[in-house]
Amino acid sequence: MIKKLHKLFSSVKLTIFLFLFLAVTSIIGTIIQQGLPMERYKSLYSPGVFSALKFFNIFDMYHSWWFTTLLTLLSINIIVCTFKQVPRIIRLISPEKKEIDDTVFKSSQIRKTFQSQKKLSDIERHAEIIIKSLVGTPVKTVKNDTIYFLAERGRYSRLGMIFVHISILLILAGGLIGTILGFHGQMNIVEGEKSDTVTLFGGEGAKKLDFDVRCDDFTVEFHETGMPKEYKTDLTIMNDGKKVVSGTIRVNHPLIYKGLKFCQATYGIAGVSDLLIGAKNNKTGEKTALNPNIMKKVPLPGSNASFAIARFVTDQDGMGPAVLGVLLEPGKAQHDIFWIFQNGHNINQQQKSGFTFTLDSFSRLYYTGIQVSKDPGVPLVWIGFCLIMMGFILSLFFTHKRIWMKISGSQDKYEISIAASVSKNRKSFEEQLAGLTREAAVEQTK
Amino acid sequence: MNDTFLISIVTFTYFSAAFVFLISIVFNKKSVDKWALIITVAGLILQTSAIIMRWIHSYQLGIGHAPLSNFYESLVFFSWSIIFVYLIIRKRYRDNLFGVLSAFFAFLILAYASLSSNVNCTIQPLIPALQSNWLISHVISSFLAYACFTIAFGTSILYLLKIKMKMSMLPDALFLDEVTYKMVSIGFVLLTLGIITGAAWADRAWGRYWGWDPKETWSLITWLIYGAFLHTHLARGWRGVKLSLVSIIGFIAVIFTYLGVNYVLSGLHSYL
Repeated sequence: MIKKLHKLFSSVKLTIFLFLFLAVTSIIGTIIQQGLPMERYKSLYSPGVFSALKFFNIFDMYHSWWFTTLLTLLSINIIVCTFKQVPRIIRLISPEKKEIDDTVFKSSQIRKTFQSQKKLSDIERHAEIIIKSLVGTPVKTVKNDTIYFLAERGRYSRLGMIFVHISILLILAGGLIGTILGFHGQMNIVEGEKSDTVTLFGGEGAKKLDFDVRCDDFTVEFHETGMPKEYKTDLTIMNDGKKVVSGTIRVNHPLIYKGLKFCQATYGIAGVSDLLIGAKNNKTGEKTALNPNIMKKVPLPGSNASFAIARFVTDQDGMGPAVLGVLLEPGKAQHDIFWIFQNGHNINQQQKSGFTFTLDSFSRLYYTGIQVSKDPGVPLVWIGFCLIMMGFILSLFFTHKRIWMKISGSQDKYEISIAASVSKNRKSFEEQLAGLTREAAVEQTK
Repeated sequence: MNDTFLISIVTFTYFSAAFVFLISIVFNKKSVDKWALIITVAGLILQTSAIIMRWIHSYQLGIGHAPLSNFYESLVFFSWSIIFVYLIIRKRYRDNLFGVLSAFFAFLILAYASLSSNVNCTIQPLIPALQSNWLISHVISSFLAYACFTIAFGTSILYLLKIKMKMSMLPDALFLDEVTYKMVSIGFVLLTLGIITGAAWADRAWGRYWGWDPKETWSLITWLIYGAFLHTHLARGWRGVKLSLVSIIGFIAVIFTYLGVNYVLSGLHSYL
């Protein structure tokens, strides 16, 4: 049983299967929108389809039991396969013995033998040239009248593959830690107000922070096209009503406090402040400035009526910002409710009970949308990212090359054997070697 | 002069380059070969100037940013990357068929960028989320990866034509196979870098390095397919037809990551 499992997990077939299976199943989550409230899905699908999809956790599939299982299987697969390679890699990167084992001339990937009648010193000189241009400066040893040359380069490039595989494990582990110990959500805070509650994404409820976040100020600048150019929030972290840290966050420039990251994500209009409504008495022409608050009535000078506003909108029927005014007159059963615009618009409808109302000035009250996250797995993921690139660079730009050369025989007839092994680009290495030996042979016959 | 006008000249230049490369193959003439290369290099220089011009122009408009931020600019950079990668690998893989392939792909992309009504070529201001130092490294590594995958797609198609249709004018099958593998392995490393820079950026913008957004997920799907490609080749010894098919499937995923996500699915990358 254990043997069978070991065989399964040490096979690259499993890796390829898992890669492709993960790729195919991942498509589902890009078609079916993830993390919506359950009611939305219920209305989208018939009950049968809904319960089937719910069983497979398709609505949050990347955190589902089966997707996690696939990732776990992949991790085990990587661990087993990498461990299987470790002894071989250690053998390859541990320094070569100076003693040359004659078997390399029979077992190496690349082998070549030829004879020469040149002087020994010439042969040696050529051997050194060949080795130097192919691999590097050779080491010479003499044993039983036989001359050996050997050279090696790029030994540590063998570590590249191990680095890549370990880094994938680190990234997966970092992801797991983040899922278990971290959170990610949003808090919307109106200018001047504070909050300690983060609404978590994916309908996972809310998270209470052990401190308050106050939005001191929010500003937004626009391009001529009306597109936002930049928006930023002045934040203060408060503990028991005391200021702890202050900072400004912009998009792409978060604030980090106690391992929590505060990112400027969105903004919106929460309402209006400093409203100034003009009420002109049509008879006397006298104009009064009213300063009402939403849902709070103020007396209308020169009459027994009072006035209030119900709400503010940034754009009413394409005519710009407006407030919904309410006129309360004693003895009248029904209140008069009407829109009040900035100067000029729709002036007729704004004449009520002998007054003309205009929206004179106001300032928008923004709320800032801050994404708050905590992810203790991030350092592990960054290490994984660095390691994977190091691994790729090692295995892409460096090649492990080894070459052995043996010159045996005696005067008039020397036998030269070459053995070599390369971790990649074998074909071009062989071509180079063939070219160099041919050159040497030509020079020798001159 | 306007950079979009320069790009239409470049479009024509790449078409000519593809044509001259084709002539050099059909008539097997070394002298023509040289001209094809000169035209290609001239096209790349012209295109680079157009990109720089657009960059400067955006600063003159007061909305200065690298020209890598909307669909039109990404198409221009995509075709630039293909020619750039071709000129690098040309030394190693001296076959004019790659010249035809690269110049033709670059031409097609530019023609689409200039002619399609879907593509808006005006310089637009950058939305705040895109105002980041990660933009340039993320876009460059991603599109160089796409360029490598495009060339690998081309050689895979040629391989299948060579094997199935027995077209004798095509290069040796083993050679095509090797180029496919090399391009995929370099593309894979660049794609990984593109995903990493994207993750680092997302972490600064939204406080999470990975959020299973459709664009992110599709880049992972592409990564997994090419990852499977490398494993079938290195560990299982897959060659030839099977490997070419995996490379073609991978390229379909690339196209979906680049275009499909914006046109078919919605997500955070919808501005591109």
